[in-house]
Amino acid sequence: MARTKKTNPQLFFNGLLAENPIFRLALSMCPAVGISTSVMNGIMLGVAVLFVQVCSSCTISAIKSFIHPRIRIPTYTLTIATWVTVIDLVLAAYLPAAYKEMGIFVKLIVAFAIITMRLEMFAAKNPLVPSFWDGLGMGFGFLFGMVTLGAIREILGSGTFLGFSVVGEKPLLFFILPAAGFFTVGFMMAIFNYTDLLFKKLREKKG
Amino acid sequence: MKQILRITIGLIVSCLIAGTIMGGAYVFTAKAKKYNEQLKEEETMLGLLGYGKANPAPPALKLYSVYRYVVDEKGSKYLGYLLPVKKGGAIDYAVLLLTLDGKFYAYHEVKLGLEQATDPTEREKALEGALKGSASFVYADETIVACMDGKRLAYLLPGRFQGFKTFIRVMLALNPGFDILGLDILEQEEDPGLGGDIVQPFFKNQFKDKTFDKIKDLDVVKEPLPEEYRKVLEAKSGSMPEKEIQSVEEKYKEKDIYALTGATISSRAVTTGVKDMVKRFAYRIGVLDHVVASRDIPVGF
Repeated sequence: MARTKKTNPQLFFNGLLAENPIFRLALSMCPAVGISTSVMNGIMLGVAVLFVQVCSSCTISAIKSFIHPRIRIPTYTLTIATWVTVIDLVLAAYLPAAYKEMGIFVKLIVAFAIITMRLEMFAAKNPLVPSFWDGLGMGFGFLFGMVTLGAIREILGSGTFLGFSVVGEKPLLFFILPAAGFFTVGFMMAIFNYTDLLFKKLREKKG
Repeated sequence: MKQILRITIGLIVSCLIAGTIMGGAYVFTAKAKKYNEQLKEEETMLGLLGYGKANPAPPALKLYSVYRYVVDEKGSKYLGYLLPVKKGGAIDYAVLLLTLDGKFYAYHEVKLGLEQATDPTEREKALEGALKGSASFVYADETIVACMDGKRLAYLLPGRFQGFKTFIRVMLALNPGFDILGLDILEQEEDPGLGGDIVQPFFKNQFKDKTFDKIKDLDVVKEPLPEEYRKVLEAKSGSMPEKEIQSVEEKYKEKDIYALTGATISSRAVTTGVKDMVKRFAYRIGVLDHVVASRDIPVGF
């Protein structure tokens, strides 16, 4: 039940790089593999997750002392479901243009591992402000991961970037098929781990 | 025991709170959401008829909905149409029952205005009253007839068929000779980047201007989409000379539908779905028109 000692910016960058949800924690791989076929999809799902993660983290952190430890997981799911429903309804009612693009992604979120995991690991043990920053970092980390995957797969698979033609043809159609999602995620994980190793070696030399 | 009670109560309370929040959000947003959905549907319909922001629909354009129900009366099935009919100076609805082989069975006038008819529960109430509770009925579909100055301009058919993954909901516009005026995809969950491309203009606009004769044996070809055709399909009004568009459209008018690369099943699903919708509708409206004409029913369309 250790409280975090990190400062707020550290928490933010922790989610973005050191504990990136997709490439380091390997959580929420279903959407990462399934949806990341284009940059636009990545942005949409990333933004949707960012909103739900921040809202849920803050809620759980605020009410954590009222939750009986035995029923914390159902409570997390309920919280996420509530936020997803509320955001879905509000978007549909007041931002129809955004809903037309994002509606389908928002509804996907309830079962995402990353959100439940962050509530369990962080928000349930820390005060409101750090939880907000952690949620923000994780949300942006997920967004960053999805956009990177989307960019790689869209350029290689469809030959476009954000829908604009860059290559002029479809170089490797295979990349927009689900199987290639695993390859792309795998390569990105390898890059992250390798950079991590390099940094550690550098630090050791200095120390 | 005490533990179990505390857990149970805790769960009940959290569910109640969550339910209240969700319910509250629904109550607050329901009206605006429904309004947006209707607006979107109306926009799609007018868009298919060629009207939009730059080219607003004239006030003479009227959209009349015809609702079809399957009526079950004492074991035998009938087709029940809710038709807009002229009564005095206004439009009111009437129920027309046909046997399955297209013969006249019964005709009742009901109290149901144009505005009321858009609400499913109001329609059901009116139908129940007309059938005097002796028959059950199931909603089948809706057809919107667009009229201008007493003449039929187009039919708008909302429809739904099986795609690669789930159902695809579409809106189809036909002219009175059943040639396709346009196709729009309202809802689909095909694979993004593959079958999801059925919403792209370069796919759905291929259906535009296909004649009724061509639709009867419309098929999908697995060939790359020719570049000049793609340009025309994606062209917005005014971005290309009209003559060029017309000459290219003429060239590809009798061609089959070019399949999406890597998504032949989705392409085929849409093509077959559209084909079936048009064929069935042409048959049904023929039967309906025949009965309406032979019985002198004063239909509004």
